[in-house]
Amino acid sequence: MPTQEQNQKFIVPIGPQHPALKEPGHFEFTVDGEIVTAASVRLGYVHRGIEKGTEDRTWTQNVYLLERICGICSHVHVTAYVVAVEQLAKVQAPPRAEAIRTIVAELERIHSHMLWLGVAAHEGGFDSLFMYSWRDRETVMDILETISGNRVHYSANILGGVKFDIDDQKRDFILKGLEFLEERTNHYMKIVTTDETFLGRTRNIGTMTKEQAIELGAVGPTARASGVTIDIRDSAPYSAYKTFPVNVITDETGDLLARFVVRIKELLESYRLIREILDHMPEGELAARIPRRIPAGETIHRVEAPRGELFYYVKSGGGDKPERIKVRTPSLCNWSSVINFAVGHKLADMPMILAGIDPCFSCNDRLIKIRRANQSQVWTWEDLRLHGIEYYR
Amino acid sequence: MAIGAMLGDILRSLFKRPVTELYPFQRKPAPETLRGRLMYDPSKCSGCQLCIKDCPADAIELLVVDKVAKKFVMRYHEDRCTFCAQCVQSCRFSCLNMSNEQWELAQLKREPFEVMYGRDEDVQFLLERAARAETGDVECGA
Amino acid sequence: MNLPLPSIILLLFFPGGLFLIASGLVYQWADRKLVARFQNRIGPRWFQPLADVFKLLAKEEIVPTGAIKGLFHGLPIVALASALTAALYVPLAGFNASYSFQGDLIVVFYLLSVLTICIGLAGANNISRFSIIGATRTLTQIFSYEAPFLLALLGPAIAAGSWSISKINIYAQENVWLILAQPIGFVVALIGLMGKLELPPFDAPEAETEIVAGALTEYSGRGLALFRIGKDVELVIGLTLISALYLGGLANPLDFLWKTVVLLLVTAGLQALFARLRIDQTVGMWWRVGALLGLLQLLAIILGRLIGPLF
Repeated sequence: MPTQEQNQKFIVPIGPQHPALKEPGHFEFTVDGEIVTAASVRLGYVHRGIEKGTEDRTWTQNVYLLERICGICSHVHVTAYVVAVEQLAKVQAPPRAEAIRTIVAELERIHSHMLWLGVAAHEGGFDSLFMYSWRDRETVMDILETISGNRVHYSANILGGVKFDIDDQKRDFILKGLEFLEERTNHYMKIVTTDETFLGRTRNIGTMTKEQAIELGAVGPTARASGVTIDIRDSAPYSAYKTFPVNVITDETGDLLARFVVRIKELLESYRLIREILDHMPEGELAARIPRRIPAGETIHRVEAPRGELFYYVKSGGGDKPERIKVRTPSLCNWSSVINFAVGHKLADMPMILAGIDPCFSCNDRLIKIRRANQSQVWTWEDLRLHGIEYYR
Repeated sequence: MAIGAMLGDILRSLFKRPVTELYPFQRKPAPETLRGRLMYDPSKCSGCQLCIKDCPADAIELLVVDKVAKKFVMRYHEDRCTFCAQCVQSCRFSCLNMSNEQWELAQLKREPFEVMYGRDEDVQFLLERAARAETGDVECGA
Repeated sequence: MNLPLPSIILLLFFPGGLFLIASGLVYQWADRKLVARFQNRIGPRWFQPLADVFKLLAKEEIVPTGAIKGLFHGLPIVALASALTAALYVPLAGFNASYSFQGDLIVVFYLLSVLTICIGLAGANNISRFSIIGATRTLTQIFSYEAPFLLALLGPAIAAGSWSISKINIYAQENVWLILAQPIGFVVALIGLMGKLELPPFDAPEAETEIVAGALTEYSGRGLALFRIGKDVELVIGLTLISALYLGGLANPLDFLWKTVVLLLVTAGLQALFARLRIDQTVGMWWRVGALLGLLQLLAIILGRLIGPLF
């Protein structure tokens, strides 16, 4: 049996296939006993060429392609894209459409944070919290299914507006669901902040100070848990956030516990926001007309996804297809915080630190750079496809 | 600070029915708004093909039987459909809508997913023409 | 009750061998079902553990490179055999223990530890990194709970004045339940059993989100099936032991059934209640709290025996 030599590093690989990861990503933790001394990450296992794919589809078809970048925050991706296209076409979505967009976005945030709560609890071996939070998450899934017609890909947005209205019946259904969820959320807040066994796994784990968070470019709840007041809904309000402002939730400690607290408080803030919008629903049309050919130009748009700032760059050449779409997702910004704060912790904390940023692998695996010696070339969709077939042969 | 903050939940669950649905035996009714199988009303269709242009998944084909008499047959590939309802949005004559049935898509072959919509005699006509084409008796014309 | 049966039947069918394996599977099912119900789920159907065993037995056993072949195949057998042997000394199903001698409590205790040590060795026999970490954790954990667990079992032995499980069982039936006389010892023993069985929250050695399946990561097929049966048997023996020692003894099968099921209900509840402890937290907890409590209980018993006769 080959033995580990004294000077040889003992590296524990996590992924690409590992029970802790629900999506493929590769992490290497160098350990000394149980203590992690170095960490590295390798991404790109679920690169799907979506950005290139957008160049081959019409503006309308892209709505549904971009929705599929992420299975959890599907709605915000489309919102970012649709608003950017509306900016290019100089079309303003009607206020009622913006309100409905915002309601769906907040419901999506609720379902994403509930999902995260369960996953993070599971990584810490707290399966009861996992089961209960996912059971209650079904409530918000049912709400989304009832108002939009699908549990995951709501397809609420179309260019220029939304597809469906929220009538009184749907409104009552949402409010009823929120009441139950609010009660449960308060209960989970109590569990997460008082259960001693769980606190032992979250308190002072993966602590990131405010300065470090800014330096590493962390976004979303991860940054807010370290006291950075960064929330696109607040700093650059879009859609209905202009009329219905959100309160940015921050916490000072920056450890895993703070990330739990921030996300659960954000759930409560989302309930409040949805109720407020439902009480003051603007009347009017659901969609504005938008031309099939978008005038030439380029624009950016930022939205606050459940995981943080989501950035879209859209360039139009004046045709019925976009010339370039670039997406930067929040997970990509947060990896550096994982790699930096893994060192010095126990191996047992790694899954929770990984889960702490709420990673979404298929979201961030989009960039691919093909380097050939001193030659740059433009690849068509067909070339890429052939390259892919050749590569995996 | 407490140990076992979930005690209440756990004890209550012991005397409650599990929430798990025994899916194939128990079915929850789908909500009315569910976007399930696409339905097509041939009498209203003008053959503008906007739905086909906008479909992100190439799930719809329109077979023209007689353009002047507005006889169309729609071939709908349910397995390709992403159930986004963009075609319903695009249709100006509201001849498309999504029903809340048929959302369990599992078959051993692709063929059962191919649905033909249209007047019965038109569908019959097309099917016969396809059958003739298969046996080698090729007919000219569209 | 006594069993007038020849030794071969005692060993192969009842209470050893087949009966023990069958009851182990049933208790495993009950445990999973109860945890599921605590989590508001349905849980597995009654034949699931049996189906798992058949599936594993039917599967190919892959010996990974770098493992010593003999050890790889031998360890599961030793593990199961030691667990089955231990069963002969406990009053299983309420019948008198098949064999008994002065000091069999200690023998049973160590036979149960052999299983855990086998799992640790099986992990260390591999070059898989998950196995090695799992083995390290298994062996670290055995050092932490073993002493408090033994201290907790000592209490009833001292009270009964005997090291024989059968004698303690009879003593427990005749006197007040020891759970009332030695409550601390009972708690330590119950939690010690959970540590021994690597049930949550002490499942750090096989924490799936960290190290896949711990020491048994590389096992498949027959070896894994034997280890799993061994663990199930250990669960039954552990529950029998604690209910014999602390819950007023086991006089008949009905007594056995309800006492062990109540104990299982409590352990299942504890499994559902807590988050997994890190290995350093487990060790710290056992040595700081568990051992101290065990010693405290022992001290109380000794003092009681010294002071008792004075009144």
